[in-house]
Amino acid sequence: MNTKTRRRVALALPLCIGAASMAQDLMIKAPEQSRPIVIENAEIHTVSHGDIPRGGLLIVDGAIDRVWKGATPDLGAAYASAERIDASGLRCYPGLIGANTTTGLVEISAVRATLDYDEVGEMTPEVRAAVSVNPDSTIIPVTRLNGVLTVGVLPTGGVIPGRASLMRLDGWTWEDMTVEDDMGLMINWPSMRTSNSPWVRISEEEQRKNTRERLDKLDEFFAQARAYAAARQADPSIETDIRLESMAGVLSGAKPALISANELEQIEAAALWAEANDIRAIIVGGRDSWLCADLLKRLDIPVIITGTHHVPRRRDSAFDEAYTLPVKLERAGVRWCLATDGGPFQTPHERNLPYHAATAVAYGLDHDAAIRAITLAPAEILGAGDRLGSIDAGKSATLLLTDGDPLEETSTIALALIDGRRIDLESKQTILNEKYREKYDQLRRQRTR
Amino acid sequence: MSRFSIVRLATSILTGCAALYLPAVSAMAQPAPLNGPKPTDEQWHALVGATVVPSPGESIENATIVIRGGMIISVVPNAAPPEGARVWDATGLTIYPGLIDAHVPVSAPRPDPKLEGTHWNEKVTPQRSALDGPGVSDKDRKALRELGFTACAIAPEGGIFRGTGAVVLLSDPDESPGAERREALASRVFDEVSLERNRFGSDQYPGSEMGAIALIRQTLSDAKWRATSVAAHERSGASMPLPAADALDALAPATDTLPILFDTTSELQALRVAKIAREFGRSAMLLGSGTEFRRLRPIIEDGLPIILPLDFPKAPSVESEAEAEAVDLRTLMTWEQAPTNARRLVHAGATVALTSDKLRNRGDFAENLRAAIKQGLTEDEALTALTITPATLLGVADRVGTIEAGKVANLIVADGPLFEKDTKIRDLWIAGRRHEMSKPEDKTLAGVWDVIFGEADGAIDGTLTIDDDNAITIKIEENEVKARSVRMDGPRVSFLADGDKFDYPGVFTLSGALRGDVIAGVFVDPDGDRNPWSARRAKAPAADDADADDAKAGDDDTDGDDKDADDAEDDAKDLAPEPLVTPLGAYGLAEEREAAPRTIAVTGATLWTAGPDGIIEDATLLVSDGKVVYSGPSAGAPRLAADLTIDAAGKHVTPGLIDCHSHTGISGGVNEGTQAVTSEVRIFDVIDPDDIAFYRELAGGLTCCNQLHGSANPIGGQNSVVKLRWGAERPDDLRFEGAIPGIKFALGENVKQSNWGDDKKTRYPQTRMGVETIIRDRFIAAQEYAQAMAAYESLGSSARARTQPPRRDLELEALVEILAGERLIHCHSYRQDEILMLCRVAKDFGFTIGTFQHVLEGYKVAEAIRESAIGGSTFSDWWAYKFEVVDAIPFNGAIMHDEGIPVSFNSDSDELARRLNTEAGKAIKYGGLAPEEAIKFVTLNPAIQLKIDGRVGSLEAGKDADFVVWSGDPLSTLSRCESTWIDGVERFSLESDARLRADAQRERARILQKLLAKKDKGGKKGRGRGGPPGGRDMVDTPPTQAELDYQSWAFEVLRSGGSLDDHRCGQCGDFLDLTLYMTGH
Repeated sequence: MNTKTRRRVALALPLCIGAASMAQDLMIKAPEQSRPIVIENAEIHTVSHGDIPRGGLLIVDGAIDRVWKGATPDLGAAYASAERIDASGLRCYPGLIGANTTTGLVEISAVRATLDYDEVGEMTPEVRAAVSVNPDSTIIPVTRLNGVLTVGVLPTGGVIPGRASLMRLDGWTWEDMTVEDDMGLMINWPSMRTSNSPWVRISEEEQRKNTRERLDKLDEFFAQARAYAAARQADPSIETDIRLESMAGVLSGAKPALISANELEQIEAAALWAEANDIRAIIVGGRDSWLCADLLKRLDIPVIITGTHHVPRRRDSAFDEAYTLPVKLERAGVRWCLATDGGPFQTPHERNLPYHAATAVAYGLDHDAAIRAITLAPAEILGAGDRLGSIDAGKSATLLLTDGDPLEETSTIALALIDGRRIDLESKQTILNEKYREKYDQLRRQRTR
Repeated sequence: MSRFSIVRLATSILTGCAALYLPAVSAMAQPAPLNGPKPTDEQWHALVGATVVPSPGESIENATIVIRGGMIISVVPNAAPPEGARVWDATGLTIYPGLIDAHVPVSAPRPDPKLEGTHWNEKVTPQRSALDGPGVSDKDRKALRELGFTACAIAPEGGIFRGTGAVVLLSDPDESPGAERREALASRVFDEVSLERNRFGSDQYPGSEMGAIALIRQTLSDAKWRATSVAAHERSGASMPLPAADALDALAPATDTLPILFDTTSELQALRVAKIAREFGRSAMLLGSGTEFRRLRPIIEDGLPIILPLDFPKAPSVESEAEAEAVDLRTLMTWEQAPTNARRLVHAGATVALTSDKLRNRGDFAENLRAAIKQGLTEDEALTALTITPATLLGVADRVGTIEAGKVANLIVADGPLFEKDTKIRDLWIAGRRHEMSKPEDKTLAGVWDVIFGEADGAIDGTLTIDDDNAITIKIEENEVKARSVRMDGPRVSFLADGDKFDYPGVFTLSGALRGDVIAGVFVDPDGDRNPWSARRAKAPAADDADADDAKAGDDDTDGDDKDADDAEDDAKDLAPEPLVTPLGAYGLAEEREAAPRTIAVTGATLWTAGPDGIIEDATLLVSDGKVVYSGPSAGAPRLAADLTIDAAGKHVTPGLIDCHSHTGISGGVNEGTQAVTSEVRIFDVIDPDDIAFYRELAGGLTCCNQLHGSANPIGGQNSVVKLRWGAERPDDLRFEGAIPGIKFALGENVKQSNWGDDKKTRYPQTRMGVETIIRDRFIAAQEYAQAMAAYESLGSSARARTQPPRRDLELEALVEILAGERLIHCHSYRQDEILMLCRVAKDFGFTIGTFQHVLEGYKVAEAIRESAIGGSTFSDWWAYKFEVVDAIPFNGAIMHDEGIPVSFNSDSDELARRLNTEAGKAIKYGGLAPEEAIKFVTLNPAIQLKIDGRVGSLEAGKDADFVVWSGDPLSTLSRCESTWIDGVERFSLESDARLRADAQRERARILQKLLAKKDKGGKKGRGRGGPPGGRDMVDTPPTQAELDYQSWAFEVLRSGGSLDDHRCGQCGDFLDLTLYMTGH
C-alpha cells in the first residue's frame, strides 16, 4: 500500500482524537468479530505444513475454521453473509510472537515512574506480569505495526523476578489482552563466570563463593517451596504463603521455568539443575548454547534466542557471532525460537523482531526456519502451540496479510487480525506523521496564497 | 634560605666540583653546630683484584679502583693500592657502574590553591620540584639498591603538569641535625607531564584524555603568552604589577628549555604526546607504557627517547574453558610479546633507558629484565639502558654512568655477570660509601672429611660430607645419616645426629671448630657423656666414594648440561614470534602486505551510484589509484586492463556507507562533561585506530564516520571525520584529509543532566532556558575575543611590544571558527523548541549549522532546519527511551527529506553502525522513499552534511573509490556485505575474514598451550593488562558514586548476557564513558 493512500486512509480516521499524550495510547480497541470472515486468493504460509500458493481460510468466532487450497469452495448458506476479503497479491502469515519483552511494564525507560518490571526482592515468584500490563501503552500499537501481535511479557530483576504472561496486543483491559496469565516462572541464573575486570573489586575466589551462595539460595528456595506444598497437602490448615504458593505450577511441571542464561557454564548448570529437580526448563538468552547443543537436545530444553543484533562477546569473536547463533542451533537440532533482547530499553523497538530473524537468514539460516522462529516456535515453547503460531483450523485467527516477505522492511502489513478482530494499524506515530504533514501542507498553502 | 635553594646551591657546588670532589663538610654552605667531637671520614678506598666493566662492552681484568671523597680517582689494571687507602679485596668479583633508575615518582607538596599564582586547575603544578618533598622513601631506596641502582631521577607524583624532576643519589640521607641534603646530583632535569584525568563522575576538569590534552595545549600556550605579557608589561613601564602566575612562569619558554617527560599509559598516548611536543617545539621524552611494540614503527619515527618500564602483564588465567573464554587474543599476545618490547625498541634504534617504575612489585624488575634479555636484548644493551643512556638523558653523563676517574664513585660489586639469575650483588658503592648488600656464601667447611668419633680404643671412623648448602651427611660403614639442626658460623659448626642407624638409639649433639686443617670438637651422646671427635679433609677418597663423588660431580655437570639443554629448548619455545600484526590481536594485518591492485574493475553489478545516475543494472565500476574513473553501464565502460577484476554479476555495489554520528574509536572518554563549554577538546587528539568496532563496522559496509564528542554539555568538543582504514599505523592515518572541522553541541536532557541522578542539580544549565543563554553568551564572548585579537594584530610593532596581547583562548577560537563558517556544528537535539532555538541563534550570529543530530522532532520544524542547517542526521526508528523522545516517529527522516532537507540515518552505536544499510531501508517503510533516495540516507547525504561530498558519498568518476559489494539488494535485510573497499583498498571481505579468523584461532590455541604448559611449572597468574589509566590508585581509593552506579548496571547487563557495547543509541555516552574508563580505553 503506498504511503499517500495510507495517509488518506489515516486522515479519514477520527482525527479529533488529536495527538496522543505521554504514555497514553488513544487508539480505539478492535471490536469483537461480528461475522465470519473469508480470506481468499492469498499466498498462505501456514508455517505448520508448508505454503499454499493460492488459497483461503474461513474465520469464525475468532478462530480459523478451515483452510483450503485453490479457489474458495462453497461454504454453504451459513456463511453467505461472511465478510469476504480478496487477498490477491497478498501473503497470509500467522501473527508474529515476541517471546521476550517488557511491553506494558515500561513506557519510558529513563523515567522511573513508568517502570513496572522489577519488584523488590531477590525471589518474587508471587508477582505476575499480566496484572500490570498497561493496555494503553503507546508502545503497543507501534509494536503491532510490523506484525508482532502477541508478546511474552517477562518481569526482570533478582534471581526469581516473577511469573511471565503471554499477552495479545489488543484489548480494553489487561484481562482482555491475556492469553496466558502464568506462562512460567522467570529465573535469572546467577552468573558463574568470574571477572577480573578492574572495576570488580572482590577477588575471584569471593566471586565464586558468591555464585555458590546464590545457587544455594535458589536450591533452598525450591526446597522450601516443595516442603510447603507437601505440608499443605498433609495439613490444609497451614497458613498460606503467597510466595511459596506461586511456585506450585513450576514444581508440578505444569509451568516451565524460563531461565535466563547466556554463558556456557550457566546454561549447562541450569539444564542439569532442571533435570535433577524435575523442572521443565526454557533457556532465555543462550548466547553460548551452541557450545552445549548436545546436552540441550538430549534434555529437550528449548532456547529463546534473545536477538541477533548484538556485538560479539569478545574482541576476537567472529563479527557474525550473534548473527549465526540461530543457524547453529537449527543445525544442531535444538528446539529454539527467536526473540529480541527484551528489557526496558529494547521494548519500544520490539517491532524490529522480524529483522533480527532476517539477519539470521542473511547469515545462513533457512528462510522458513526464520519465519517459524518468530511464529510457531515461540508459540510452542511458550505453551500456546495449540492456539497460536500457524495457519491451521482450530487455531486463533491471529494472523497477517502482507504485501511481501515480513522479514523485509519494505513489506507492509495490509491487515492484522487478533482473534479475528481487525486491528487498527495506526498509532500515535502515524498520527503525528499525519499531523505534521498537515503542517507543511498548510505552510505551502499559505505561501501559494 | 629555603630548603629548595639549599639543595640548588649544593647542586651547583657539586656541578662545579665534578672533577675534584670535596668532602661534603667543607662544601657545606651553612655548617650547623656539632654535637660531640668532630668525626673524620676520609672515604679513601681501593678495590683490588676485580674484573671491572667500566662501561658496557668493556672490561679490565685485575683492576684497582681508587676512590676518595666520593669520587673515582683512578681505575688501573694490575696496580698496587695507594698507601693509606682502605683496601677491599674484590678478587673473583666483577664491578659494574652503579645503575641509574630514570624515573622514581616521589611525593611533593602541592602549591596552596589560595595563592594568587597557583593555577586554577589543581593538576597544573609545573612549579613543583621533586626536591620539595622528602624524596625517595626509605622503602623505595632500599628496594632500588637491592636491584643495583645507585642513583635515580625523581619526579613529583600526580597531576598533569607535575613539576620538575631531579637526579639524586640513593645513599641514605644524613639524618643528623643540621646535616645538608647532599644526595641531589642535578635539579630541574625535566618537566613531567601526563594525560591523567579525573575519575568518572568527578566534576573536576579534565574528565577525559582529550580534556587532558586540551589542558596541556592551553597551558603551554598560556606560558608563551605569559612570557610575552611580562615582557610587554616591563616595556610599558606600567606601575601596577601583573598578577602572579607561578605555574605559567615555571613553564615560560625563555627560561624553560627542559625536555618534557610525558608519562604515557599506552602506545597510542606515545604518539599523541609526540604531536604535542612537535606543536610547541619542545624537546620531549616518554615515560613508556610497556606496549610500545604494538606500534613500533611510528614510535621510532617520532624519535623520542623512552624511559621504559618493564611492567609485564601477568599471565592471564586460562585453566578452565570458561576462564579462557574470557580472554581475548590481543590480551594473550600482549602478554606474550611484552618481554620483547625493550629489545624491539632498542634494535629499531630507539634511545631507551630502563626504569623499575610502574611495576606492581619493584622486586620483579630483575626477573623481568632477564625475560627481556631472553627475548634478545643483549646484556650490554641492558647495561647501557641502565647507565649511560639514563645519565645522558638526565644530563648527568659527566658525573655518573661509567667507571672513570673523575666520576662519582657509584659501583656495583657482584659475584658474577650482573644480569644472571644466580649472581648476587655483594656491595653497592654510592658516592664512595659502601653499602653491603650480601655476604659471600660461607663454604669454609664444605667438602668431605675423614672423621673419628671418640678416643683410642672406642674410636669409630667415618666420613662427614658437608655440601655447599651446608647440609651434613654422616656415614659410618654403610650407614648414612643426615645431620639435623646444622648451625655454621665461619669455622664453627654444630649439629644433631640420630644414632638409631648406628645401633645407638638416641640423639647425639655435636659441635666443633676448624683450626688449621682439622675440625676438632666434642659430642654428647644420648647418655649424656661428652666425647671428643675430629675430622680431617679426606685426601684420596676411597674407591667407592670416589665413584660416588665423580658421579656426583658428573651429575652436577650433567644436570647443568641438561638444564642448559632444557633451557635452550624452553627458550626456543618461549621466544615470542617475530612479525606482529596491526592492530595487535585478531583481525590485525601483517606489516608486509601484498600491494593493493592499482586498477580495479567491478563488472556486471547492479550499481547504486547514489548520484544523478541512480541505480544502474549491469554496470561497471572502474577504479584507478584509489579513485573512481568510471561508474556506469557496462556497455559504455572504457577498456581498462585492470589489475583486479571483480565479477559482481548478480551482486549489488553501493558507495561506502557513512555514519554521521559515531563514538567508535575514541580513547579515554567520549565526553569532557566536567564543564558546560569544552570547545577546546578535540576528538581527533584521541583517535583509537585499534577499536575492534571499526572492523565489525567494515563488515557491515561502513567506510567513513563522524566521530563525535558526547552530549554531556551544551558546547562539546571538536569532531573527527575518519575513514575506517583498519590496520593503519597511526591514528591520524584514519583522518579524512581536508574534511571541514566540526564540533558537537548538545541540547535538552543530557546537558541539563536530567537523568544523571539527584546529586547533579547544580551545574548551569539545568533548564532549556539556561542552555540557550550559555550558547549565546559564549558566541558573544567569541565575537569580542575575535575583536580583541584583531585590535592587537592591527597595532604597530612598537605599540605591540608595549601592549599585553590578549590571551589565546582555544575554547573561544573554536567558536570564532563557527562564526566564520569554518567549523560546522553537529548539534544533539530532540525537541522542536530547542531545535528552533539553535536555528535562531545561528541566524542571529550569521552562520549555518552543520547538522542537527538525532533531531527526533525535526519533523515538527523542518522549515526552520531547512533554512538554518545543512541537514538532519537522525535515527531510523528509535524512540521512547527517555522523556524528550516520546514524540519521536520513524517518519521523521522521510518528512524532513520531503521538506527538502538532506537527511541521514546514523547509528550512535557500535552495534547499529554495522547495519546502516537496512536502517536506510526503513526510509522506504516509513515514508515511502524511492530506494535510490533511501540509499542516500547512509551515503551521499551524510557526505553532504559533513561537506565531504566532493570526495565520497556517491560513485561518480573522480570520487574516492570507497565502495561495498553486497550479496543482493543493499536495502534488503536478507543481504549481506561481501567486501568493503576504501580508496581502492580492500579493508574487509568474507574471504579475508575467514582467513583472519583461522589465523586468530591458531594463534590463540598456540598461546593458550604455552600458558597452560607454564601453569604446570607454577607460573604466576593474575590480571591481564587492561586496567584503567591511573590504575595505581584505583585499588586504593573508594569508588565514586558514578562508578558504583555503573558497576551495578554493568553487572546486570553482563549477567543477562548483554554487552556493554550494545544499546548505546541516543545515550551519547551516558554510560559509555565509564565503560571506556573502566576498560581502560
